Amino acid sequence: MNVIRGFATTFKHLLEEPVTYQYPEQIRPFAERYKGRHELKRYDNGLEKCIGCSLCAAACPADAIWVEAAENTDEARYSPGERYAKTYEINMLRCIFCGYCEDACPTEAIVLGHEHRLSFTNRKDAIFTKDMLIDPVPEGGQATPQKVEPGVFTRAIPDMEDPK
Amino acid sequence: MTNTVRIIINDQTYDVPAGMNLVDAAKWYANDDIPVFCYHPKMEPVGMCRMCLVEMGTIEKDRATGQVVLDENGQSKVRWMPKLQTACTTTVSDGLVIRTQTQQVQDARQNVVEFLLTSHPLDCPICDKGGECPLQNLTMEHGPGVSRMAFSDKMRLDKHVPLGDLIFLDEERCIQCARCVRFQDEVVGDDVLAFHERGRSLQIITNSEPGFDTYFSGNTTDICPVGALTTADFRFGARPWELTEVPSICPHCPVGCNISLSTRLDRDFGGKTLIKRVMPRQNEQVNEIWICDKGRFGHHFSRSEDRLEDPLVRERSGRLFAKSWTDALAAAAEALKAAGSDVAAIAGSGMSNEDLWALRQLLAGLGSRRLGAWPPTHAGAEVVAQVGVGQGTNLGQLGRGDAVLVIASDLEEEAPIWRLRLKQAADRGAFLLVMNARPTRMDDFAAQTIHYETGEAVQALLALKDSDAWKQLAEAHNLVIVAGAEGLSLDGSRALAGAAANILLETEHVGKPNSGLLAVLPGANAMGLHYLGFTPAATLDIMQNPPKVLIVTQADLLLDDPTAAHWLAKVETIISLDLFASGLTQQLAAVALPIQSFAERDGSYVNGERRVQRFYTAQGPMGQALPAWQALSRLGEQLGQGTAKLSAAAVMVEIAQNVPAFAGVSFKELAKVERQYPDVGGKDLYYGGTAYRNRGGLGIQIPTAADQGQTVARFEAAADEPPKTRGKLVIVPSVRLYNRERTFRPSALVHARVPEAYAEINSADAKKLGIQDGDTVEIAIQNAPALRVRAHVNGGAPKGTVIVPRHLSDTAAPLAVTVGEVSKAEG
Repeated sequence: MNVIRGFATTFKHLLEEPVTYQYPEQIRPFAERYKGRHELKRYDNGLEKCIGCSLCAAACPADAIWVEAAENTDEARYSPGERYAKTYEINMLRCIFCGYCEDACPTEAIVLGHEHRLSFTNRKDAIFTKDMLIDPVPEGGQATPQKVEPGVFTRAIPDMEDPK
Repeated sequence: MTNTVRIIINDQTYDVPAGMNLVDAAKWYANDDIPVFCYHPKMEPVGMCRMCLVEMGTIEKDRATGQVVLDENGQSKVRWMPKLQTACTTTVSDGLVIRTQTQQVQDARQNVVEFLLTSHPLDCPICDKGGECPLQNLTMEHGPGVSRMAFSDKMRLDKHVPLGDLIFLDEERCIQCARCVRFQDEVVGDDVLAFHERGRSLQIITNSEPGFDTYFSGNTTDICPVGALTTADFRFGARPWELTEVPSICPHCPVGCNISLSTRLDRDFGGKTLIKRVMPRQNEQVNEIWICDKGRFGHHFSRSEDRLEDPLVRERSGRLFAKSWTDALAAAAEALKAAGSDVAAIAGSGMSNEDLWALRQLLAGLGSRRLGAWPPTHAGAEVVAQVGVGQGTNLGQLGRGDAVLVIASDLEEEAPIWRLRLKQAADRGAFLLVMNARPTRMDDFAAQTIHYETGEAVQALLALKDSDAWKQLAEAHNLVIVAGAEGLSLDGSRALAGAAANILLETEHVGKPNSGLLAVLPGANAMGLHYLGFTPAATLDIMQNPPKVLIVTQADLLLDDPTAAHWLAKVETIISLDLFASGLTQQLAAVALPIQSFAERDGSYVNGERRVQRFYTAQGPMGQALPAWQALSRLGEQLGQGTAKLSAAAVMVEIAQNVPAFAGVSFKELAKVERQYPDVGGKDLYYGGTAYRNRGGLGIQIPTAADQGQTVARFEAAADEPPKTRGKLVIVPSVRLYNRERTFRPSALVHARVPEAYAEINSADAKKLGIQDGDTVEIAIQNAPALRVRAHVNGGAPKGTVIVPRHLSDTAAPLAVTVGEVSKAEG
């Protein structure tokens, strides 16, 4: 009798849908807070959110981030305010995807996205530059650097209202 | 000894010198950091920011008996003041009692910070000061977590106001402490900043044209307690915590300011280490916590595109080809072997002591002693070695009862930090006598000014005895004579140094601290050149009798001397060790060897006060460049002079063994530091600003002959014959701090401030020649290409004299005083 019960279980599972996902053809949906590859965000008008403050690099426990800043002008504007990231690099071999950079960012410019397919054949390829990290220009926005009206984008960090 | 008074800080008793400021005393003796914004230990207190409020009282004494009143517990009774008092405007006095940690004090601090933050922007992430900001630190320490002020009331002001070309003002960040205004007024004496408007509309403005017109503007960014003032050079260069500090010595003038090179890797520089900014490093005896703008912004030459990166050898065709070090050294060795002992060397004053020793050893091995110092404009180093300012001299201690004589030098242009410190000495009551043929900036601070005829500095000094100023000098407690060489030949400058030394000997102002002679020699290591046997007299000899092979190290002969091409033509082979590929290297060198700048290697300089100071490696070499001592030492190895040295420290050991002046000097000794007053550079950036604490060494001052107790004989000081003009005009070369030397040209930022090449002409001469202010004139001098410059007729030159600043154009101005003809040029 026990034998029959055993076989019944086996046959039952033979008829069930398989649980295996056929990766990479088939990709499981991610949890919303999954911490994958970093993305540098833009405002709707196309300006970069990143102001090159290097706080992500300071927060990084693995010393994976390298930022060099430069000054914006109204003729060539990358981000609001005076400062933008001239160089922004993340060494994905060092990164431990802890998300501290995201926490440290004062403008919510760096966000850990859902991209997880990170494989390299040499060490140099593991260094993701700003061009690779930054989001595409949103619809209706302009690519950076932009030529803008003087005196419009004077604030690097969005105004925060009184604490409620 | 100074009187001490007994004060009580937080129930602990301390004995402190009378007259000391309470903030300073609490910090120095009680290790109690009273927070401040507007107070600075180098300036007078104003009590504007109210951050230093403390509970203050005095020990109560019975008025009739003078006895201390005791309370019921037998403790002395304290009469507390009804309100909190500002510590910075309080001078310590006997029986003073303060408390700095009570709830009342903490509340007051919190309120002050909250108030300062009402309109301060939340800019910290993009602010250059963020990370080393007094306001940021004090907010974290004492400030409230949240503000009660309405956000909508925040002031919105201009965040990008250029105060001149070098400094930017962010009006929003300014907390109106007036440190910058007071620094310019009190410390520098260039009153170019001011407050504009009142109350909430108050702003910092500059009232000079061009804006912020001073040589010391960078220091205001150091003492600014917020990020309101930032330098254009470092703007967004890096965050302070990312920088590595390397102690170094400024390579631009004889003051030898202690600096700190802040370095970081740089992507645009090939991922290599790069100097991001230059900051002052505290050395109270040399530069206190200040540096001039040339030192701060003049570091770009170390990685200029003009840097020589590979060894070059000139082939038969006359073209230079890049070679390996081995081949280039072999070519140099071959030329030296062929010349036998007919070899000479000219060393520039940017060479370190180690380089100079290696060069001297190389020539000694070849049997030559012809060691020339460049530029050959100032003699007098040998006089300084005998009666220079005494060991332990600190210009910052000169004051009432002391006297300073500045002669034949435009200190503002030649040694700005000496000028700043002597100005302060005059403010403290020292008698400052300025003597020059023409008006200079120093006149503004002088108690008395004497203008003599051009070239007659020695006569004027000899005649001083009969003047009314003599008493002030002779009876001064301390006397420092600062002697330059403006308007003098080399012999004339030697005579001037001698005459100055004679005055010092006569009035017994030698062999003791704060008295003696200072020579305003050109370059960072002119005294090192002297101690290692390089003399300007030998240079003149080399110019007259050129050798077969001439080794030129870091000396820009063609740009310094208009006659250089003329006499260098007689030299068969020139071996050039240089930083730069243009100039001598490109035009004349048979073998050119690339050497490292001060930023790329270890070494030591001797400053004008004879202080041996050490600098450290900050950035990597450019191309294949080697330190000069190493290149020369390897060249010596090729010539069979023994194995090459392996480190600068090892070379210094050899110097210490062989040169008496350097006895006891070693890199280890040079690196020694001790606690300095005021105690800046600690965690409390609000106290002294962002100048760095000295961790690289205070240096060792070489004793003079007089310091060692030797009797110094009087010097020969025969007055030089004034140059025979025969109807021509006397051409006096002068020095401008901002110029177009190869070591300053790459600092593009400052170049807007470098004047177009000009000559100062007296109005009477100009009228005779039909020249007007602003005309282009041509100055013809024997053996030299004619100079085309703009004429300035504005009272800067005495009659019969034309002042020609050197290094303002690619055509060399005369090296020493000479005669020439001036004519109006077309166009």
